[in-house]
Amino acid sequence: MILKIAFRNIFRQKRRTILTALAMIVGFTLSSIVIGLSDGAYSNVIKMFTGNRIGHIQVHHEGYHDKPSIYKTISNYESIGETIQGNTDVEAWTPRVFAGGLGSVGEKSTAVRVIGVDVARETEATHFDKKVVQGNSLAETASREAVIGRGLAKTLAATLGSKFVVFSQAADGSIANDEYTIVGIAESGDDITDRVTCYLHIEDAQELFVLEGRAHEIVVIVSNINKVGKTTEAIKESLNDSSLEVLPWQVVAKSFYDAMQADKQGDAVARLIIMLIVAIGVLNTVLMSVLERTREYGVLKAVGTKPIQIFWLVLCEVVIITIGSIGIGALLGVLINYVFSIHGLTYAEGLTLGGVEFGTMYAEVNARSLMIPGITVLLSATLVGLFPAIKAARIMPAKAMRTH
Amino acid sequence: MEQIQKTDVIVTESVMKVYDADGIPVNALNGVDLTIQSGEFTAIVGPSGSGKTTFLNIISGLDAPTEGKVWLSGKVLSEMGGNELSDFRRDNIGFIFQAYNLIPVLTVEENVEYIMLLAGVPKTERHDRVVAMLETVGLKDVEDRLPTQLSGGQQQRVAIARAMVSEPAIILADEPTANLDSKTGADLLEMMRRLNDETGMTFIFSTHDPMVMESAKRLITLRDGKVDTDETK
Repeated sequence: MILKIAFRNIFRQKRRTILTALAMIVGFTLSSIVIGLSDGAYSNVIKMFTGNRIGHIQVHHEGYHDKPSIYKTISNYESIGETIQGNTDVEAWTPRVFAGGLGSVGEKSTAVRVIGVDVARETEATHFDKKVVQGNSLAETASREAVIGRGLAKTLAATLGSKFVVFSQAADGSIANDEYTIVGIAESGDDITDRVTCYLHIEDAQELFVLEGRAHEIVVIVSNINKVGKTTEAIKESLNDSSLEVLPWQVVAKSFYDAMQADKQGDAVARLIIMLIVAIGVLNTVLMSVLERTREYGVLKAVGTKPIQIFWLVLCEVVIITIGSIGIGALLGVLINYVFSIHGLTYAEGLTLGGVEFGTMYAEVNARSLMIPGITVLLSATLVGLFPAIKAARIMPAKAMRTH
Repeated sequence: MEQIQKTDVIVTESVMKVYDADGIPVNALNGVDLTIQSGEFTAIVGPSGSGKTTFLNIISGLDAPTEGKVWLSGKVLSEMGGNELSDFRRDNIGFIFQAYNLIPVLTVEENVEYIMLLAGVPKTERHDRVVAMLETVGLKDVEDRLPTQLSGGQQQRVAIARAMVSEPAIILADEPTANLDSKTGADLLEMMRRLNDETGMTFIFSTHDPMVMESAKRLITLRDGKVDTDETK
C-alpha cells in the first residue's frame, strides 16, 4: 500500500514530479556525455599514442627503460618474438634498434635519433607505412634507405632522394658512419619526435651500430587494450627471463599516463558539480512536496501509519522518480554519446589531453557512462531525500493536521 | 491516582497543555481529570478555544500533554514510543475529523481498507469487512471513486467507515457534523448512535452541534481548559 500511495502521489503532483525528474535527467545526461566524451577521447589518444608509437607492451633488456644504452640489447629477439606471439591476446610484435647520432644532408647537420625498424613487422604492428606522408616507405629488405621526420627534413633542408649521412659511435666502440637515400618523409603525430627521428631498416641500423642480430626493444600490440595488464603478466611468465623487462604502456609512458589521470580527476570534479546541482534541485522539490503534504502525513500517522512507514513513503517517491529519470537519462545519454561517437565533437582550437593535441573528440558508448551517473544520481537523490523523509516521519500528527 | 477499572477506557489525570503562540504561552488545558467508560456516547462541548480538540488530540496520543497523564485502555500514552503509539492508535482508536481527512490518492474502498492493511488483516477478510462497512454507511456504489469525486456527506461516511471498520474500542470524532448540512449530519449521527448501541464502541465527540449534544448520553463542558460541567443523561 505504501508503494501504491507513493506511485499515485508521483502522478498526482505531475508538475513537481516533472521538475524533480528534469533535474535528475539533465544531471544524468550531462554526466553521461562528459564521461562518454572523455572516455572516447582517452581511448582515441591511447590508441593513437600506443598503437602508432609505443605499442601496448614493450620488452627490453633489464634497466633499459630507466637508463637507455646502446649496449643494453636483446640478442635473440626473433625467438623471443615468437614466444610472445604464442600468447593468444598478442596481435603483433616488432623489434626496434635505437641510437643517437649526427645526421647530415649536404652542409646541414643536426642531432638525430635513429630508429631501426623491421619494416614488415612495424607496418603490421604500428602502421609504419601510414606515417610516411611523402615519398615511399622503406623497402622490406635492407637497401640503405632512410625515412626522416617532417621536422628533421625541414631542419636539414632535405628532399626525397637526398643523401643522408649518419655519424655515431657503434656498440663495439668504432665510428659508425654511413650514407642513406631519403625515400620518404614521415609524420608520427608528434612534432617533437618528427624533428629528430630518422628510420632505417633494422638490418641497416644493426650494421651501422654493429648490433647484428640484436635489438633494443620489442613492441607488442594486443588485440584488446583492456587486456594489457593480463597480457604483460602472461608474457613475463612465458619468457621467464630475469634479464628482460616487460612493461605495459602505462609504465613506458608514465608521464603521459599521469597527465591523463590528472585530466580524469578534473572530469570527476565537473561531475561532482553537476551532481551537486541535481542534489540541490531534488532537495528543494522533495522538501516542498513534504511541506505541502504535512497535513496528509499527520493524517496517515493519526490513523496508525508508523513513522518508519512514512519515512519509506517519502523515500519510495524519491527512488521511483530517480529510477524513472535514470531510465530516461540513460536513453538520452546513449543516444547523444552514439551520435558523438559517429560524428565527433570538433573544437575550433585543438584540445590537449594527456599531452596529446587533437581537434575532434569522439565519444564512447560504454557501461561506465551509464553506471557512474546512475549510481551518483541514485545516491545523491536518496541522500537528499533522507532529510525530508525524516522530517515527514517525525511530524506530530496534531500539529500537522492544523496546517493547511 | 485511584485504581483504574476495567471498564475505564480513558482516564486523564491533571492534564495540562500549554501552547507557544509566537512566544506567548497559551493554556489550552488547565488540569483536566476525567474518566470515560466503555460504551459511552459522550460529547465534549464548550466555546471555541475551550480546549475540546486539544483534549481529543491528547487522549488519542496525537499530541502530548505538557503535564499530567493519560491512560487509554489501561496504558499510559506518554510511556509509548512513536511506532508503539502508532500501532496502539491503529488497533484501539478510530478517528473522524471535521475536514474528513481521507487519503486523497486512495479510492473509497482503499481508504476504508488502509488501517486493516496496516494491521495485517488477511486480504479476504479485509475485503469482506470493507464491503460490509460500505454497505452499512450506504456507500457500496462509490467504492472505486476518489475522495475528490464525493460530496462532503459521502466523504464523512467514508471517514466513519474507515474509523469503524477495524472495530476499535474508541471512536474519536472532532466536529464530525460541522461541514455537513443538517439532514446529512442527522443521518450520520443516527448511524453512529445505532453502531454504538449495536457494537458497544465508545464514541467521544467534540462538538458545537446541538443535535450531537442532544444525542449524547454524557455531556462534558470545557471552559478555559477545565471541566466546567459533566452531566450524564
